[in-house]
Amino acid sequence: MEKYEKLEKVGEGTYGKVYKAKDKESGEVVALKKTRLEMDEEGVPPTALREVSLLQMLSQSLYVVRLLCVEHCVNKHGKPLLYLVFEYLETDLKKFIDSHRKGANPRPLPPALVQSFLYQLCKGVAHCHSHGVLHRDLKPQNLLVDKDRGILKIADLGLGRAFTVPLKSYTHEIVTLWYRAPEVLLGSTHYSTGVDIWSVGCIFAEMVRRQALFPGDSEFQQLLHIFRLLGTPTESQWPGVSSLRDWHVYPQWEPQNLARAVPSLGPDGIDLLTKMLKYDPADRISAKAALDHPYFDGLDKSQF
Amino acid sequence: MEFDLENPLTDFHEPHSDTITSLFLVESDHMPSENYLQSLQATDFGIFVRQQTISSISKFSCNFDPLLSYLAVNYLDRFLSSQGMLQPKPWVLRLLAISCISLAAKMKKTEFSLADFQGDGGFIFDTQTMERMEILILGALKWRMRSITPFSFISYFISLFKVEDPSLRQALKARATEIIFKAQNDIKLLEFKPSVIAASALLSAAHELLPLQYPCFRSATSNCSYVNKEELLQCFKEMQEIVIDGYESVLEMVSSSVTTVNVLDQKFSSSESEKTNGTFTTMRPERDIKRRKIIDYCGNLTVQISRIPQY
Repeated sequence: MEKYEKLEKVGEGTYGKVYKAKDKESGEVVALKKTRLEMDEEGVPPTALREVSLLQMLSQSLYVVRLLCVEHCVNKHGKPLLYLVFEYLETDLKKFIDSHRKGANPRPLPPALVQSFLYQLCKGVAHCHSHGVLHRDLKPQNLLVDKDRGILKIADLGLGRAFTVPLKSYTHEIVTLWYRAPEVLLGSTHYSTGVDIWSVGCIFAEMVRRQALFPGDSEFQQLLHIFRLLGTPTESQWPGVSSLRDWHVYPQWEPQNLARAVPSLGPDGIDLLTKMLKYDPADRISAKAALDHPYFDGLDKSQF
Repeated sequence: MEFDLENPLTDFHEPHSDTITSLFLVESDHMPSENYLQSLQATDFGIFVRQQTISSISKFSCNFDPLLSYLAVNYLDRFLSSQGMLQPKPWVLRLLAISCISLAAKMKKTEFSLADFQGDGGFIFDTQTMERMEILILGALKWRMRSITPFSFISYFISLFKVEDPSLRQALKARATEIIFKAQNDIKLLEFKPSVIAASALLSAAHELLPLQYPCFRSATSNCSYVNKEELLQCFKEMQEIVIDGYESVLEMVSSSVTTVNVLDQKFSSSESEKTNGTFTTMRPERDIKRRKIIDYCGNLTVQISRIPQY
């Protein structure tokens, strides 16, 4: 790791610390992510091998943060470690939204930017899904942003598959539930691409509102937040819901008008958001279909 | 989730058009560099190093799925092409062979213990040495271990043939698979892209099994926008040589070993099948013999060979 000069700790990713660092030779600024996947008796651990090669394959997309290389080194206890070296982007969507909500100059995100970011997010998610990979933990902190170029990229990908959706992060910080799909919250074990689309919907709404759509602080509270806005799901709109493992009897809420939660969003945007937040995962729009939604009609897609 | 050579972009459902496009877009990242063949031939020992290592790989992986050894040889070729030629020291080649198999086994989630390969030929490698070799290979391959191989394209090209009968599709696939395994050892085919190898192998299979439909398959394949016609033509030609090569030596072997009774039996079954269905010109005896030869060739690699269905 002598190749890199660590500049600062930029975050605690779900799976370990992330450093901003400089390649001493080329001067390139990169993000270093130490993995906890330590070597074992049989050489490179199989899970690390499969996960990293998956990540390598996915990072071919412009909308997924690029894995530049993998460095192998030895830690201070003489144990071999793997570092993933990613391209560095200066900010993430959480910080970006925060900077528009608080501080000296609070203002909405320009609608054209919301449209462009959402399009890029759908592109990236469609790419992952077409490669058979679910992200499962999409949230604004995991979306890296290049403000000046208006680019958004998906990060923290791939490594999730060897593990289950984490409840506690590496640093025991509670993992956010705000973007978690209702089927996951209800204990479904057979979830699919719909879990990511739900998260995309929540992120879409958050870009428009500048605050989270469903800010629950426990799994139960999270479900109540969702039910209060979208109505308590019924068997007719979501067949099988009441047989899910963690289903209980909930207060019966009527669905509210979604437009009231995102007042500045036009009818096409509301329509797309509604399709992303369908209760039955099978009814949820796919990332690929979302790209063709009329909400994006005004967008110059040739730039992507 | 293990790596499946036939479906490297692990899809949830059937592969869709996007997936196919991605395969064609990135396949070149999963093959040796253009000048690999030249560099093999540039030194006295280049070809020897490759052959020796491949034969170690075949030996060590003979009890596993043949796709495991295919993947290991893919790693080997890509490694040699990016690292330059190694000195042909026996222990280096042995270490390289074991490391390629070990990586392939991990990718395919195959139960595999390094201990099984230790001691053979008097070499025992410690964990650190193995690990260093694996890391070296991973670095050279840029961790692109989900290789896109000809097997990734078979289903796609078969779908272009529009063969209705599932058993015929199976037969084409089985024969093409045999040819692909065989083609991996032939250095003349190293320069062709995985998709071109797959298309040529299927056409070669069709040429043998469904000669009447072959022209139709051929035009369907060359009309495919992803395929470069010249490359396909050239690869097909080279491949015919391998296929025929095996075929001729088989005939020699046959003339000395097969008894007259057997030959007569085969002739009989052949003419019978021609009677029952005039559409296909069957050449069953030769084909069966060739098949046997391929089984011999692969030795105990136990290539899955499905029998040709009765037409």
